[in-house]
Amino acid sequence: MSGPLSKIPTGMRYYSGPEARLRRSIEDSLVSIFAGWSYEEITTPTIDYYALFEHGMGRSLAHHAFRFTDTDGSMLALRPDVTSLVARAAATLFAEVKRPLRLCYVAPVFRQQPQSHAEWRRESTQIGGELIGANSSAADMEVLAIVCEVLERLDLDRHCSITLNDVEVFNGIAEQLNLRPQARNEMRELVDTRNAADLERFLARYSSLEDSHSFAQLIQLSGKRNILSDARRLIANPRSQLALDRLESLWSAIESLQLADRFDIDLGDVSRLDYYTGLTFKIYVKGAGARVGSGGRYDGLTASFGRAEPAVGFVLELDALTDVLLDRASEPTLVASSSGETAQLRASNLSDLFRDAREKRTKAERIMINLSEAVQ
Amino acid sequence: MTQLTIAVAKGRLQAETLDLLTGMGLVFSSEALSSRQLAIEDGSGSYRLIFVKPADVPVYVEYGIADCGIVGRDVLLESSTDLLQPLSLNIGACRIVVAAKIDAQLNRLGMLRVATKYPRIAARHFGARGVAVDLIELSGSVELAPILGLADCIVDVVATGKTLEENGLRIVEVITDSAARLVVNRASYQLEAEALGQFIKSLEDTLRRRASDD
Repeated sequence: MSGPLSKIPTGMRYYSGPEARLRRSIEDSLVSIFAGWSYEEITTPTIDYYALFEHGMGRSLAHHAFRFTDTDGSMLALRPDVTSLVARAAATLFAEVKRPLRLCYVAPVFRQQPQSHAEWRRESTQIGGELIGANSSAADMEVLAIVCEVLERLDLDRHCSITLNDVEVFNGIAEQLNLRPQARNEMRELVDTRNAADLERFLARYSSLEDSHSFAQLIQLSGKRNILSDARRLIANPRSQLALDRLESLWSAIESLQLADRFDIDLGDVSRLDYYTGLTFKIYVKGAGARVGSGGRYDGLTASFGRAEPAVGFVLELDALTDVLLDRASEPTLVASSSGETAQLRASNLSDLFRDAREKRTKAERIMINLSEAVQ
Repeated sequence: MTQLTIAVAKGRLQAETLDLLTGMGLVFSSEALSSRQLAIEDGSGSYRLIFVKPADVPVYVEYGIADCGIVGRDVLLESSTDLLQPLSLNIGACRIVVAAKIDAQLNRLGMLRVATKYPRIAARHFGARGVAVDLIELSGSVELAPILGLADCIVDVVATGKTLEENGLRIVEVITDSAARLVVNRASYQLEAEALGQFIKSLEDTLRRRASDD
């Protein structure tokens, strides 16, 4: 049985021993955090129609999926993404269920072609949450607060950076410059790779945007509130301004919760512009060479499944988190499950609401943010 | 204190890169430079250089083993990498070209045999023009291929054009210009924002100073 049967396909692996135990305890503790915020677990199909993912993630990403045909000839895929599946369920199975919907999942996703050197895994496990049917800064803050609690529980909060952006900042500029799709894409790429010099040259072709130099510098830096005030001075169009307002109100809440050291504003984060519709964020922790999670608002997705409604969510990469924690000397003490009644929380402003939420969560109380009454 | 690890492409770019870094005020002992050590630190301990093959620079940076790297654009175009590219450095300037024998007439209507070290760049270039190609991947002395009849043309990097000329080849088409670039790991960019920000700024200043000296 040596030879071919011993061989493991590229990008696949086993987990055992301390690594498997650590994986399990990270998973359990994250699921318990989700439960503490009143998220219900959902298990989705592993195989579904390729068209669903193509629709849900966009063609370029869905293209990486393992694909094969059903007995009737239709194209199937091993799920490359869970959000598409959850969004479809929200619009169909859960159509009659009261909003907002809070759903979470732990599920392996598969891709046939790795996207880059560092993403060598072809099977990786995502832990994610989706908050569907609420369009408020309180909903955005809720998912960010959950991310913070996760990082705290894993003892990763002192060496992390959660970068915030809003895709409408870029979209507003592209609209203002009246960019055609190809030029818009070119600009997106220059911003995404922080290629300030070329971006400046690019912007100079469209004389309507003044200060192209300062703007090109702006996307090269990430920072705190100062980035927002700099951006306000440089970007005048109403669409971008509205996005900056949203970021500002989130940032104020973050500051008053004394969480500002974990967050950065990064206007250069413009990956997946066609998918996200508002807030986007990426999660980096020291010891991981790539991001360990990402998320954002995707108000456009559920419409394609027949019911338009706002949604915000995020995923964390279990494998990446395990790698980081395995390298640490001490094994973290993880699980603390929530108990008792669910406390319904409401308050007139974001800071009070989430200060209360975080306090109750440190006591492992189960809470539910009342988004219908929360501040907009 | 944070120490930044910089991956430096060995070979063609290495001397120019070191020249640029010392121009920024980094100090490397002559022993370290003349030794065969693959990793050296600067005098202040703020930077560690690792010397790797050009094609490996994006790999080290993408995994986050190096926070940033200096490598030719040709290498980046040939590999699929997800890196930040905040600066174009005006060192290592060259062109990526299609070249053939001086008297050759390329028949683009049939099948073109193309010898190259850059199969992806070549495939993309001819693909965009709808030309069918047989890509012959070589690892060196690509200029020989058309002369000996292995290929109709080559796709290669040309700095001065002297090698082509000496081998009786001419440039048919310039695919793109290339120069060295600073590439940065996405996670380091956020987590080591301060140190990298300083490094990038000081690199920029040095480039500007050199440009005005010329």
